Amino acid sequence: MTERDRNWLTLFATGLILLIVYPFFADGYQLTVIRDALIFGLFAASLDFFWGRTGILCFGHAAFFGLGGYVMALITLNGSVPLAGLVGLLGAIAAAALLAAVIGYFLFFGGIRGSYFTIVTLATGVICQQAAISWSSVTGGDSGLIGIPPLEIDFAGIRIDLGQDLASYVFISIIVAIVVLLLWQLSRGRWGKVLTAIQDNEVRAAALGHNASLRLLLTFVVSAAIAGLAGALYVCMAGLIAPDLSGLLLSTEVTVWVAVGGRGTLLGPVVGALVIQRAQQEISSFNPSLWPLILGLLFIVIVFALPDGVLSIFSRLKAIFRKTEPAR
Amino acid sequence: MSQALLKASGIGVRFGGLKALDGIDYAVGERELSCIIGPNGAGKSTFLNVLTGTLRPSQGSVLFAGTSITGLGLNRIARLGVARKFQIPSVFPSLSVEENLDVARWGTASAARSTKELLELVQLDRVAGKLAGELAHGQKQWLEIGMAIAIGPKLLLLDEPTAGMTPQETLATAELLLRLKGEFSIVAVEHDIRFVRALDCETLVLHQGRKLRSGPFREIEADETVRNVYLGRR
Amino acid sequence: MEFAAVTTLNALTLISILLLVGLGLAISFGLMNVTNLAHGEFVTIGAFTVYFVQSLGGSFWFGLLAAPVVGGLVGMVLEYAVIRHLYSRPMSTILATWGISLVLQQSLELAFGLGAKPVSPPVEGTVDLIVAVYPAYRLILIGIAAATLTAVILLVNRTSFGLDIRTVIQNREMAEGVGINTRRSYAIAFAFGAAIAGLAGGLVAPLAIVLPQMGVNYLANAFFVVIVGGAGSIAGLLAGSVFVGGLTSILNYQISPSLAQALVLLAAIIVVRLRPNGLLGGAFR
Repeated sequence: MTERDRNWLTLFATGLILLIVYPFFADGYQLTVIRDALIFGLFAASLDFFWGRTGILCFGHAAFFGLGGYVMALITLNGSVPLAGLVGLLGAIAAAALLAAVIGYFLFFGGIRGSYFTIVTLATGVICQQAAISWSSVTGGDSGLIGIPPLEIDFAGIRIDLGQDLASYVFISIIVAIVVLLLWQLSRGRWGKVLTAIQDNEVRAAALGHNASLRLLLTFVVSAAIAGLAGALYVCMAGLIAPDLSGLLLSTEVTVWVAVGGRGTLLGPVVGALVIQRAQQEISSFNPSLWPLILGLLFIVIVFALPDGVLSIFSRLKAIFRKTEPAR
Repeated sequence: MSQALLKASGIGVRFGGLKALDGIDYAVGERELSCIIGPNGAGKSTFLNVLTGTLRPSQGSVLFAGTSITGLGLNRIARLGVARKFQIPSVFPSLSVEENLDVARWGTASAARSTKELLELVQLDRVAGKLAGELAHGQKQWLEIGMAIAIGPKLLLLDEPTAGMTPQETLATAELLLRLKGEFSIVAVEHDIRFVRALDCETLVLHQGRKLRSGPFREIEADETVRNVYLGRR
Repeated sequence: MEFAAVTTLNALTLISILLLVGLGLAISFGLMNVTNLAHGEFVTIGAFTVYFVQSLGGSFWFGLLAAPVVGGLVGMVLEYAVIRHLYSRPMSTILATWGISLVLQQSLELAFGLGAKPVSPPVEGTVDLIVAVYPAYRLILIGIAAATLTAVILLVNRTSFGLDIRTVIQNREMAEGVGINTRRSYAIAFAFGAAIAGLAGGLVAPLAIVLPQMGVNYLANAFFVVIVGGAGSIAGLLAGSVFVGGLTSILNYQISPSLAQALVLLAAIIVVRLRPNGLLGGAFR
């Protein structure tokens, strides 16, 4: 285990302790705020797993989040589906994965990487939002779908009813922790190293026998599937879904969360999501149209001042201290 | 000669009106060591690209273990057992030396050596944890040779493996290849004559896209024509 | 017959706009390798310029003249302040230009308020073309687009400035070697593309819903044009515009616009898979 891994686990454990302690100090409403923010944190981690490990930015990631949300909403609102909660979750994951598989197959095996990929995914996001608005007989159009019941899973003797604030907070915390831990394991292990190799020099990786296009495709599908899961979880916590949740602004926001939190760290994006959403609530209550302006400025600040995210301030400070230490 | 593992017959390559290669026959036996030499512009790199299946020849055919690999994806070719060391050292700079070798071993199912053995073989065990991007030039070359060996190849193709190396490093590289000789077939494209002399193997001399001579290096070195076009000028 | 003629003319209108918007992208994305996600805002700025001039009582035509000037100026500032510092950092360019796009959108919203802005066409009424009756302004739009494209082709192929640009784009180092100021050429080419996009925005303003957020649809479509056509040539740009514009117009008659968009995206992706360098790619590189 490297020093980097130890640092990561320490941060992870700290975060976990904070999540466990928080309910003792917070009321039900505050718990639901953190719970919803955590779901977006999971969404950010899903984007980071792809962007951070492959260096390719998906700029329409909200399409997968929104698709997962709509699938969940449609299945649970249908009323005739048995085990609707569980089927909805699985359906949401499958739908997002399938969409990513179709897009990814054509692009990755067509040799598309880098900016081209970013643009096509951007367009996908635009189109998904339009589809959500105009296909109103299914999606409810601009106003979306409401009245989605809280998650209730009753399967093989396990019964989870998430109508309660505390229960849903605990459930979401556990899911986010597990998924982030799994993604981290994937990233630091064989999977992640091969991806780093592909990012460094794809031709070389292929000449060693690695199927780079397939590896990128699978990573994209996993990333999209988790985004779909996050979307599905969100709608049954919030009880509603609207076209915004598949739209460009959310895609933009998740990109900022990851970039500010630190690309490739998985934990940073979760923290980034929590912190920036808090800031957004403050600013939006002041003037709603100010937020996109500040988002835009944030992008520019990141690019010119903090290309490795806010957490990189600490490693930079560390480097400065090391330099000032007397030579051994 | 033992049975040919790699057999190229009547290879011709044209780029527009330019004949880069013309009518070359070439064969490498199982577990044989062989060199391709020639002055700059002789068509060595083009020929290597044809042999590795990345360039489709205008004429002729290349058979590896009896089948054509021309036009297959790079990863398929590697999995069939063809390893290649590029001319410009291309390691993965953001991974450590050890991880570079790991990634190479994971590429195919045929890896024969453990990462530890490979590290010792290419004498990088003391820098195993270092980022490959921070290695010295010669060490990068060795790491890349190690990565090519790591996939457990039947055939190892090396494009100017000693480019940019010091004379000592060049001789050490030759020793390394001589140690591997007999394990799998090796083809080295070089223009450093000291290196080829140290290998002392079957040698193909290319000149202006044609085969000038072929045979054991001692005979080649003594050949008047070869001396005139190539060796004499150095 | 009439149906076919109207569809063709509708397609031509869309193709004209795509051509003009795509031209700037073909320059920045296709030739300079700069992914400018704020390109759509040049269209928005062009449209807002016409709206602003009209709201002050000025004529449409004066607004249309001002649109490329304003677009080009904003493009010049953008290139000077941001893009030139990021030529070797593609990911940073994407993020920074997206940020700028958001800032421009919100600034317009803060300056001009919420809601769509009305822009009236310079000529009302229709023209009887024997086979069909068609709005006069759309015919003018097609004519102006065709004239602009012709002018651009002449500029690039017949003038010394065009030669400089072509040299810089084909081989930057060699261009520097023969004494061309590549930095200046890049800046001019970029601002030029922005100006043409501004013109497109001005032209489309009477037909479109003029909103601060209108740019992104043009951005996405123009990228499809460049990707499908194959970056790097006017012929590719034409092919891409005809493909995207034609397909969208035909599909719009059969199905809802957003489904049509989705199908065009899918078609574009499939074209990329089959011809990674675009419909005409390879032949011009």
